[in-house]
Amino acid sequence: MTPFLSVLTSVVAWVGAMLAVASLAVIGPARLRETWSGLRDRIWDARRAVALVCVVLLASAVGRPPLLDVSKLFGIQATALIYGLEGGFVAWVQATFASPALTAYFSRVYVYGYAFLLAFPPVAYLTSPRPADLRRLLVAYALNYGIGLVLYTLVFAHGPRNVMPDMVTPLLFTNQPDVILLASEVNENSNVFPSLHTSLSVTVGTFAVLTRDEYPLWTPVAVPLSLSVVVATMYLGIHWLTDVVAGFALAFGCVALAYRFVDPRDDAAESGDTGDGGRSGSKIDASA
Amino acid sequence: MTRPISRRAALAGLGLAAASAGCLGRTENIAGRDPHEQLTLEINTTPADGDPNGIRIARQFEEHLTAVGIDVRLNTVGQTDLWRKVLVNQNFDLYVGQFVETEPFDSDALYGLTHSQFVAEPGWQNPFGFTEIAVDDLLERQRRATGTDRSDAVDALQETVCDRQPFSVVAFPDALTAVRGDRFDGWTQDRQPVSVTGLLGLDAVPDADGSDGSGDGNATDGNATVDAADADEEGGAALQLVTTDARITENWNPIAAEYRKYGTFTGLLYDPLVRTDDRSTVPWLAADWERPGANTLDVALRDARWHDGEPVTASDVAFTYRFLRDTSLGSVETSVPTPRFRGRSSLVEDERVLDDSTVRLTVPDVNETVAARALQVPILPEHVWSERTDAATIAGFELDFETTEAVVSNNADPVGSGPLRFVEATAGESVVFERNPDHFLVRPAPGADSDSSGETADPRAGIPPRYHGKPAFDRIRVEVLPSDISAVESVAGGLADATVSNLGPESVPRIGRSDDTRLVSGQSAAFYHVGYNARRSPLSNPRFRAVIARLIDKSAIVDNTFDGYAQAAASPLAASPDAVPESLAWTDGTDPVHPFFDDGGSLDVEAAREALRDIGYRFDDEGRLLSRGQ
Repeated sequence: MTPFLSVLTSVVAWVGAMLAVASLAVIGPARLRETWSGLRDRIWDARRAVALVCVVLLASAVGRPPLLDVSKLFGIQATALIYGLEGGFVAWVQATFASPALTAYFSRVYVYGYAFLLAFPPVAYLTSPRPADLRRLLVAYALNYGIGLVLYTLVFAHGPRNVMPDMVTPLLFTNQPDVILLASEVNENSNVFPSLHTSLSVTVGTFAVLTRDEYPLWTPVAVPLSLSVVVATMYLGIHWLTDVVAGFALAFGCVALAYRFVDPRDDAAESGDTGDGGRSGSKIDASA
Repeated sequence: MTRPISRRAALAGLGLAAASAGCLGRTENIAGRDPHEQLTLEINTTPADGDPNGIRIARQFEEHLTAVGIDVRLNTVGQTDLWRKVLVNQNFDLYVGQFVETEPFDSDALYGLTHSQFVAEPGWQNPFGFTEIAVDDLLERQRRATGTDRSDAVDALQETVCDRQPFSVVAFPDALTAVRGDRFDGWTQDRQPVSVTGLLGLDAVPDADGSDGSGDGNATDGNATVDAADADEEGGAALQLVTTDARITENWNPIAAEYRKYGTFTGLLYDPLVRTDDRSTVPWLAADWERPGANTLDVALRDARWHDGEPVTASDVAFTYRFLRDTSLGSVETSVPTPRFRGRSSLVEDERVLDDSTVRLTVPDVNETVAARALQVPILPEHVWSERTDAATIAGFELDFETTEAVVSNNADPVGSGPLRFVEATAGESVVFERNPDHFLVRPAPGADSDSSGETADPRAGIPPRYHGKPAFDRIRVEVLPSDISAVESVAGGLADATVSNLGPESVPRIGRSDDTRLVSGQSAAFYHVGYNARRSPLSNPRFRAVIARLIDKSAIVDNTFDGYAQAAASPLAASPDAVPESLAWTDGTDPVHPFFDDGGSLDVEAAREALRDIGYRFDDEGRLLSRGQ
């Protein structure tokens, strides 16, 4: 477990550092201070969305092993289908673009960049003047995980590095073998369709575009970073192009659903009326 | 794929026109014919994480089959699922996998593998659905014949099997293993290092926790010099192994075909009556055996106990053979034979308990070598397994699986009599076994310490001295890791003593990067092969199998997939000494029977198609191999 813990510590430390820097640069110290005082109201406001994410993550943690067995026995065995559909596309990506510099870049993006990409928006949207942003984001996360889990169970497939080891090098694992321990802790090698790395990154990227007026500095960071994660999943031989396409579809679907489910009307009415303070204040009183 | 459909549609249109024109008969004759479609074959194998070699063989085969015009579906499934598909459900076209025995085996191993009497049984007995009277006859002959008569039969058997190709032998791999020598030594070089005898042969390095310097030197030649009794005292150490195969953390059933690879750990939990060791047969749970008549075999047992304290008796042995023949013991309408050890257990026709420690087995008219094979099955405790003879049920419902509880049981908390006993396991993560302090290997001789005197008094008489006082470890912990690369890294990082599962070409160079870690390899008899489902057309056609066998470039596989750590072969007995006839010897890099369609290193597609045309197959104008719709 020691190598596993050391990888975990390194990821947590790096992501923490990146979060600190990004918070200062993107959100700014003034707004951070301002948010700090009203933090409890803001979290309380998003309580249902937070609970939803927790429930889905818990269900995923508890349900994955038994669902994997279900998938093995009754899932659609899609490896042959996907491989027949796209053939050696991922092998071509590697053969055409692979270089030590890119491998180092994509390996880091896949692990550290991805973790940062997912961790920063909840922090940022917590400071947003539109509380609906945070709720939408969290609902979209939960939908991604929830639908992803269902699809993992329905579809049993292995990724390109497992099917074409003669042409696709498992670049992540050959270059950062420690990381494989972390990756396997989080993911089964038969859970490739759809690519959740892709769908969650694209979800974050889409939100970054939609909230660009509020966080103009975040958009040019988030979009290239999320696209890098998308490319990394294939470049590193982990996912098929098919998984990535499905990941995009899942992401856009989840964002659309999040916008449909989370109605910003309350916020608009409240803020138009007395500003943020009034409503939240009364809520705290009620709960106290 | 589109052509037949459009043709059919066109015919439908024409049919209408023709019907109105009044010549229905002729149109019916045309439209009533099913069109030919491209042949589709599915190759099943495990993903690279599970076994880095099989998938590479499958990939080459897939490319070559595709090149000659066959629509190939390359399917990867987990190790349990692969064998469930192939051995239990027999629902496959082709598979790539490994044979189950790592030590060089006798030709009688082919009896279970290819005899047509097993064609309807699930398990390792004839998974190919292969039926060939000539092969059956030769299998029977090699059981009876002796001397040169037998070698002639074995030669003819191999030639016939190679000719009919129920499976294509690809290569015999070197069992590559990354090991550390700082705590245990004696890793064998001449066979699979992590095997029953390989693990039992290990020696603890003296002063493993103290000063390393002196310990290392001693242990290198320690195989012979370190005294058994010393190793006994030395104990206390835990042997740490790493694998990518999680099955041993979930299931400890010695007869569950889909959960066993070579049966190494279940082989240490359950003792057989005899073991093969260095090409000779040594008495194990049996103290001795003799043949009072041509058809009988009397086995005298050692004094031994099951892990739960019950004594091992002759009635357990008799039960085991009865049980392996029919795990339902007659409680289910049709017998449910064991899915492993079927060839061996089929040798014993009847069993009789003579006294508490002697059993008489009826082994009709077989030679000595084959009779000894009958004694290589794991002996099971009657008081545990007699409870598992009912038809298997799910939540109390008996489904029509034609199987028994014994076959589907995980055998949690296994009770064996072997040198290791089960401690604990976390499914998918790890399993721990400990040394059985009551085993005859560690029980000291009551009298003198010399090995030669007092044959009956010494509890380990007849067992090679290097196993006395073994195993040299107190515990053995097997941890599951996600890939061969992390397994090697774990050994190199000092977290484990050795790797268990197969290593691929990417992980081998990593072994050299760490000073304390070295590569140990011994030739394994567990040959890689492509298995054909002879129940399905056109794989039921031996001529078709013979042609597609020629699409496998075995030399290239040895060079590229195995990086030279394997030997290409034509015969499944190629690892067994002096077993392969001249006619099947692998010489000058080509297969003696089904040579690769070689065109300067790549596949000669035209030659392959010509060979298929010669045996009656046809191609459409786009070069697709046609067959009747499946």
